[in-house]
Amino acid sequence: MLEQFFIDMEQWPISKAIGESLWIYPVDQALHLVGMAFLLGAVMMVNLRLLGLGITKTSLAQVARSARPWFIGGMIFMILTGLPQLMQNASREYYSEYFWRKMYFLAASLVVTIISIRYMTRQPDSAGTTMGSKLTGAFSLLLWVNVIIPARLIGLFT
Amino acid sequence: MFSELLAPLRSLAEFVDMMPASIAFRESIYVSPYTTVAHVVAMCFFAGLILIMDLRLLGWAFMETSFSHLQRRLFPLQMLGMALAAATGLVLTFGDPLRFYGNIFFWTKMCMIALTGINAMAFEYVTQDTVPAWDEAPITPYGAKLAGGVSLALWSTVIVAGRLIPYNWFA
Repeated sequence: MLEQFFIDMEQWPISKAIGESLWIYPVDQALHLVGMAFLLGAVMMVNLRLLGLGITKTSLAQVARSARPWFIGGMIFMILTGLPQLMQNASREYYSEYFWRKMYFLAASLVVTIISIRYMTRQPDSAGTTMGSKLTGAFSLLLWVNVIIPARLIGLFT
Repeated sequence: MFSELLAPLRSLAEFVDMMPASIAFRESIYVSPYTTVAHVVAMCFFAGLILIMDLRLLGWAFMETSFSHLQRRLFPLQMLGMALAAATGLVLTFGDPLRFYGNIFFWTKMCMIALTGINAMAFEYVTQDTVPAWDEAPITPYGAKLAGGVSLALWSTVIVAGRLIPYNWFA
């Protein structure tokens, strides 16, 4: 069923229009990458703080509150710029192991980052980093790296 | 036409292109794509932290943190990311010089990187001295906003141009 949906998606008029345009797809790819840098910036600020690196003079709660709009905005921008690429290449993406690896790691990264931000915003200003927060920060960064790696490999190995 | 302007570089590119290490890099199944991946990962982390500092200069994010603290804490990580991005970028260029030397997007990217350097130097020599006056202020001054806005625009263009290198529309 999912396979058929992906195959159908590629036949949508809008998907074909993206494919026929010389510049929409490349420009969309480029904007997706710019969005990734913004998103990663917010993610890094959260995780570096959890690791006890980064802006340690600012409380966990404040770092999370400052990073949150950029994380949410970045994620929305990534979905908006990611969808046209998926639509135009739907069947190739469906059969690409890298696409699914990216999606699984993305889901895991989002869950861990959202939980981290929620946890941080509830901490009192005096709260410091713990072994648990450091492990979470390191684990989360590792997850995000594993979103980027297969994302770039989709185009290189399929 | 564009590649004609760069004709003097062609002999250098051809010389590098024929070096055994360059040929081996191009012919490798995994080294070349994974170097590209490493370049993208390094760039995302490096540019991510640069953009955060730009947003702070613009007064759009992390305003509860003094600029000097943010700058001091992020600088070593930014430099580490830049070193990794530059090293992997050099290897990529070395591995396929003929692909890059006549590519308008490659040169756009290089020019933009040079401009980011000039912008950073201008900040260092002009605006940095004024930091104590607005370090913890709720609004950043015009000079800081300008430096942050210019850096944000330039680095975004670097990323866009870099991603467009495979699409050499003007060859």
